[in-house]
Order: sequence, then structure tokens, then C-alpha cells
Amino acid sequence: MHTGSQQASVVGNSLYDQVKEKLEQGLFPQWIQTDPQIFDLEIKNIFGRTWQFLGHESELKKPGDFVTRWMVNDPVLMVKNEQGEIKAFLNSCTHRGTHLCTADFGNRKTFTCPFHGWSFNLDGELIGIVAGNKIYGEAMDKSEWGLRPIPRVESYRGLIFGSLDPNVMPLEEYLGGLKWYWDIFLTRSDGGMEVRGVPHRWVVNTNWKMTLENFGGDPYHVPTSHKSTVELGISPSHPLYSSFGHQVVLEHGHCVNVNVAAPGSSSPPYQGLPEEMWPMFERNLTKEQLEIFKKCTVIVGSCFPSLSFHCPIHGSEGHLHNYLTLRVWRPLGPTKVEIWSWFLIDKSAPEEYKEAAYKGYISSFGPSGTLEQDDTEIWVRVADASKASMARDKQLNYNNLLNYMMGMGKIEPDETFPGPGTAYPTCYVDYAFRGIHKYWFELMAEDLKKIPVQA
Amino acid sequence: MDAELYYEVTNLLHYEAFLLDNRRYEEWLDLLTDDIVYRMPVRVTREVRDGSDVVDDMAYFEESKVSLTTRVKRLRTTSAWAEDPPPRTRHLITNIMIEERMKDDELKVRSNFLVLRSRSHDIESEQLYGERIDVLRQVDGRWKIAERRIIPDQAILSAKNISMFL
Ligand code: FES
Ligand SMILES: [Fe+2]
Repeated sequence: MHTGSQQASVVGNSLYDQVKEKLEQGLFPQWIQTDPQIFDLEIKNIFGRTWQFLGHESELKKPGDFVTRWMVNDPVLMVKNEQGEIKAFLNSCTHRGTHLCTADFGNRKTFTCPFHGWSFNLDGELIGIVAGNKIYGEAMDKSEWGLRPIPRVESYRGLIFGSLDPNVMPLEEYLGGLKWYWDIFLTRSDGGMEVRGVPHRWVVNTNWKMTLENFGGDPYHVPTSHKSTVELGISPSHPLYSSFGHQVVLEHGHCVNVNVAAPGSSSPPYQGLPEEMWPMFERNLTKEQLEIFKKCTVIVGSCFPSLSFHCPIHGSEGHLHNYLTLRVWRPLGPTKVEIWSWFLIDKSAPEEYKEAAYKGYISSFGPSGTLEQDDTEIWVRVADASKASMARDKQLNYNNLLNYMMGMGKIEPDETFPGPGTAYPTCYVDYAFRGIHKYWFELMAEDLKKIPVQA
Repeated sequence: MDAELYYEVTNLLHYEAFLLDNRRYEEWLDLLTDDIVYRMPVRVTREVRDGSDVVDDMAYFEESKVSLTTRVKRLRTTSAWAEDPPPRTRHLITNIMIEERMKDDELKVRSNFLVLRSRSHDIESEQLYGERIDVLRQVDGRWKIAERRIIPDQAILSAKNISMFL
């Protein structure tokens, strides 16, 4: 049910009151989706205060290996130092701010700035100044002019994150129950997962919340958005096929969906991974994780605010394979996202399997993927239709409220589910979305209180 | 290289572009050999001393005739939303150069592409551009595409997807 416009006049005076009231009803004011003022506050309050994914350990193998990344618009230089530790710095020369390293990846002992020639070692220390001794004299203490570190860098089982907030809670605490689900694919095999090649990167004109939500809590879109794959016989034909399983709501806006095959139909054990790998799974996972992994078809979800993960079974040329894709939704504007999509597979999987899984990924996800092509088209449609007067009316005069009410008050948690978080016994619910919105609201609350509804 | 051969090659690539822009995908598949290797590796930014800026380990397309046929079949379903309503595309193929006669019946051919796409109500067009390196093979008196390597110039694609063929 949509709320009538007459209710618009009874909400409180600040956006805080309005948004709180609507979110509690499972409604999401459409103006939030692409509002430029909200976008700036999101960059400050959300991207400035949480953990953002920087990359995977397997991208930095030897000392001197580096990759360059972005935390929204902060350029990041991430390197492996001589001791094998991973360091991340603002990729900006401390002398006059030049973008220090513009290559995507490589191996270096030092990074030399092309402007005046200052050079930095793998620990970010300033080690060379052109004509330094003569011009700066004793007043120059090189140790004060090292690269500025990203305030916090921590990793979890190969996944490296950075935070701009020196006081952010530890990464592991932030991830919370998500770790238990990630462990299923991150630790199932000896040696864990590794990145193949480099990430796909492309730009889609939509909002970052749209993409985060889509992977986080929207199995409901699958039979319609991806109907073409049903028509082709690549996806199951059961109209509720993506509903089976559990949707799990976790702390800090994280969420995961564990899909299983429709009742009466079967899926290959352990997502069709080769039988020779099964003993590893049995050794590395707990009984509860194993039970979930054995039956699941897809593990898909989001780590608030900008990382999603998708561990499905997908095929190319009639064969089904499992893989992991990690993606970062880098916000470039209220209706612009740069997508980074990594392909990962078990280091210890047989070589032919890795190759086939890679082909399965290319055929289904990434910019040319037969599933993702249609996703991006639809995400753009949401942004396109959400950025003008009616959708953006902050007084809600046009019923510009979106429906996130599925399952609300109807579907109860499944207490028997062995994983952490609140698990609902179907994936056709909007609990994950509401969890995302709740944490979004928590981080935005102070500023929302300062903005009157009329703004 | 004789002029007649150059004419045959350019004509083939122009005809291919015509088929793609007019969504005659089944006829397009017919221009490809059954063992075609159709790839689009990822382009990156690297410093010169680090070597090639084409990463062959990861690709946007990693296709065979079978997988390309599946993609075409998908476009013929009733629900390939990225292509229905169909965006309008224009494949501009230029700088065609026969680089090498590899065998009597095989040629290595380079060409540049600029693909423009006009979608829905979008005012701005999307574009993809770069180079293609093809191997053409003569099959029953006709030149067909036996290998295609598409090298994009963009390290970050400015198109929301690659729902077209290049
Ligand atoms: S800005 Fe880098 S050396 Fe001057
Ligand atoms: Fe999707």
C-alpha cells in the first residue's frame, strides 16, 4: 500500500523524522535515491567512516608489487613492502600533490614523482629529493614528508580493506557475521581463492545504492530481469526458483542470500566443484558451513557500503561451473558508478576447471555477461526515472515512496538456521534491503536532522 | 597484395558491420568459421617499461562459435532487456590493412573500430573503440573470420554493457 499524500504534511520538520517514519514502514523516499545533497553527505558520512575494499592479496605476490585503486575519489597506491606487508597510501606526492603513480599495476622498488623528482620507497618513506641537500638544507626532515598512509588498512582472509576514519571499528568487528558466510568460499579449499588477471572496469549511469541492493537482497528480480536465460534453458524454469533458501540480515548493513534448488529438483553438491576437492571442503569447513555449502546453488550478498560478492553456479557451452566474483561499486556521482569486477577461483582447483569457471564468468557476468547486460540496463532505468521533480520531491507530495515491504511482519526468522544473523526462510523478502537502509540511516542521521523537509 | 584481394577483405568487414547494425545476427554467425576464437582482452594503464598494456589473462569476450550462438539466441528471446527496445548501433570500420598472408588460404587483417550506440532517450551516445586483429580463412571459396582479437582503447569502458558484438 502506498501512503497517501495527505500524510506528507504530518511528518516532522526535518528529513530525519520523515525518513525514519517511512523506513519503519518499509518505504523508501524516492528522492533519496539520486539526490545530489544526499550524495555528498553519503560520501562524507558513509564512505568516510566505513571500510572500503581495496583488493585481494593474490594481486600483490612479491615485494614491490603494487596496484592503484580508488576510495571514491581518493587515489590509493597499495604495495607489498620488502617484509611482505601490505601498505596503502594516498597516491599523491607530498611535495605538491601530483598523482604519483598512474599505472594500474606493476612492480617497483621506488616511486618517483615526475614533477620535481621526489622519490618514495615501498614503506612510503621519502628517500630522495632532487638537489635536496643544497636547496632545503638542514630545515628539511625527510621523515616528515613520507607518503600519507590510508588511515586504516586491514584484511580478512585475503580481502584487503581501507578506511579513511582512523577511529573506525576493527575490520573483523565491522564484518561481524558476514565472515562466517565468506569463510564458506574463502576457506573451503587449501590455499584459498586467487584473482585471475585484472578486474573488469566499466561505468554505469546509476546510483551506488541500487547496485549494492541488487546484489544484497534482490533474488526477486532474477526470474524477470534474467528471463532471457530462463527462455534459453540456462536458468531453471520454476517461477520461484530464486526464492528458495535463506536471506540473512547481518550487522552494519551487510546481507547474504543462500539459494538452494527448488524442492523436488536437485543441484550438484558443493556447487558442482570437482569431487577431488570435496575432502578439502570437509576438512576446512565446520559441519554447519558444510551443510549449507553442500546444498546451495548461489551465495550472493553485499558488504556495506560498496562491496558485493556472488558465488554462483553458471555455465558456458552447457557445462556448469562455480566461481566467485567480487565487485566494488565506486560512486562517481549521484547517478554514476564505476564497477570493478574481479574473478576468483580456488588456487587448488584443477587447471581445466579454473579455465572453464573463468569462461562461465565471462559468459554470465562482467560487462558482456548475458545476465549482467540486462542488470545494468535496468539499474540505469531506475536512476533515469528517479531524478526529476516528482521523484525528488522531499515533501513527498507525489507519493514518491518506493516499496520495500516484501515479507514485512509476515515472514518470521528461521531459528533453526545454523549461520549467524537473522535468517528468513525465503529469499523473496525485503529484510536485507531494510537492513541496508537502517544502517544507511544510522550513519546519515545527524546530518538529516539538520535539513528541513522543505529544503 | 593485389587490389582484388584487398577489395574482398574490405567488403567482408563492411558487410559484417552492415549485418551487425541491422541485427542480422544469424547471417553474421555464418561469416565465422566453426572453430572461431573470438576474444576481447582487457586493456590497462601501464608504464612503458612494464611491458604490454593488454592483459590476455582476463577478457570481456572469450568466445567460441557455440557461445556466440548462445548469445545470439539470447538476443532472440522475448526478454533480452538490454537489446529490447533495440539500441541503435553503428559499426564504423576503418584502417583496414592486410598485414600478412599467413598461408595460401589465411590472412592476418587489422582494422579499427568505432561503435556508436544510441539508447532509448539518452541524449549522449555511448562509444567503444579500438583495434581488431583478425585471421581470415578461405572456406569453400569464401573468406570467413577464423580469429578475432578485439583490443579496446578504453581501460574503463564508458558503455554500461557490451550487449553488441564488435
Ligand atoms: S609534486 Fe612531486 S616532486 Fe614536486
Ligand atoms: Fe541480476
